[in-house]
Amino acid sequence: MHNYNEFISLMGNKIVSKVEKEKRLYFEVENQNIKEVADHLFNKLGCRLSTATATETYRGIEVLYHFSLDKTGEYYCPRVVMKDKKNPKMNSLTPIVRGAEWIEREMSEMLGITFEGHPRPEPLLTGNHPQNIKVPLRKWRSNG
Amino acid sequence: MDKNVIPVGPYHPLLEEAEYFTLQVDGETVVDIDLEIGWMHRGHEFISESKTFTQSLYLVERICGICSTSHPLAAVHAMEDVDNIEIPLRARYIRTLVGELERIHSHLLWLGLAGHFIGYDTLWMWAWKYREPVLQMFEIISGNRNHYGMMRVGGVAKDVDPSKVNKLFEVMDEIEKKIEMIAKAATDDPVLKSRLKGVGVLTKKDAIDFCAVGPTARASGVPIDVRKDEPTDAYDLVDFKIIVTENGDVFDKTVVRLLETFESIKICKQCLEKLKTVNGGIRNNVKEISPGEGIGRYEAPRGEVFHYVRTDGTNRPVRHKVRAPSYVNIPTFKASCKGIPVADALITLAAVDPCYCCTERSLKIRDKNNEPYKINLLNLSREKTEQLRRQMK
Repeated sequence: MHNYNEFISLMGNKIVSKVEKEKRLYFEVENQNIKEVADHLFNKLGCRLSTATATETYRGIEVLYHFSLDKTGEYYCPRVVMKDKKNPKMNSLTPIVRGAEWIEREMSEMLGITFEGHPRPEPLLTGNHPQNIKVPLRKWRSNG
Repeated sequence: MDKNVIPVGPYHPLLEEAEYFTLQVDGETVVDIDLEIGWMHRGHEFISESKTFTQSLYLVERICGICSTSHPLAAVHAMEDVDNIEIPLRARYIRTLVGELERIHSHLLWLGLAGHFIGYDTLWMWAWKYREPVLQMFEIISGNRNHYGMMRVGGVAKDVDPSKVNKLFEVMDEIEKKIEMIAKAATDDPVLKSRLKGVGVLTKKDAIDFCAVGPTARASGVPIDVRKDEPTDAYDLVDFKIIVTENGDVFDKTVVRLLETFESIKICKQCLEKLKTVNGGIRNNVKEISPGEGIGRYEAPRGEVFHYVRTDGTNRPVRHKVRAPSYVNIPTFKASCKGIPVADALITLAAVDPCYCCTERSLKIRDKNNEPYKINLLNLSREKTEQLRRQMK
């Protein structure tokens, strides 16, 4: 059974826009609401965080979290779009979901996103690299 | 006072992948562990964006030699999820058959390595000996012992030759008996029990907090399995059980994997039976994928493999996110390694079946007299088993 209506009505105006498919709900939330949404998904609904995807788009840099509700096989995917590509910042979900630690550190290195409130914001992939690696690693795309 | 630290990794020929752990020890006890990745960052996600959808499957197949069905299967699920593409029934059984064969060979590989790490080389040789017929089955089905190239969007690339089905059944029957023998020998052995029970416990709460997946989560009492939670391919058409245990220790992780192997054999036999009667095509002709987003996942032997694909109507993905199960399982070491003796660290690290190399390495640490000495985790682990053996005689 999959029915996203209850979740959507609970979240009310926190959901800016949504795309609903079979067992998939992609929805956009403002940065100031992402922690509340994640808290609801993880602690109340009992979702598991599969991972998160950061992408550079024309609109800005976006982070899409993938929360899996294993009981039903549904996915809840809140998306935060940061319009300031030069200095993208958003709230960290690691204080709520410990499993978000590595992926947020990785996204930070890849796209230069600052996760505010992350307990350990140091590089994950390039921390001990013998060469002087400059992050974000994909910044050349913006320059190009 | 300086901290005593045991570095493990990042490169060692014993295992095929690289990771770096630092065990912080107080005497013989591990008090904390730090983890570092990125030693073999290969940029798959970026490369995939310059490949066509079919080329991407070959690419992700090479992320891991053990999970070389799981990644392309999760990727085709993601691509098919964009447009809700249906696949023919025969292809669904073939996908399931290949996926489950992979689980059998992966679990046997792990069992062998676990035996080797604790000084049970007989177990290692048995497990790997009986893994061999499974690889031969792959060769019969796909022509390859590894990197099978079976998956396509809309179906599979190759059909299973009907004249080979009976032969595949025979191999299945044979390995089932052998694995029963290994499982009995492994789980009844008193030394093995005392060596693995209560070691490296991951509690249910920690498994949920770290978002662990696969046997690592199921051994801690978290009943998740993609094959049941969101059945794709033929998983809703075959009968099998999800193995869940409660203790979260290394012994339970072993038990979960061993029992899962029998369930996989059961599934394979059902698929082979169906392949005798289910006819028809093996692939729908998918000409294009619409702009959109798709999530695909598959229960790999180590846990959920997750792929996310974003498309823009061209013949290649604009974003392809890949998350392997070890990425979420390895951080659980933070919880399971604390408070255990150094001799148990190696088997605890190996118990989640992680992709890493060099779990053991010589190094200098200082003893009580502030003198440097060498330690070898593999020898330490094996010595402990020998000690237990002597005590039980």
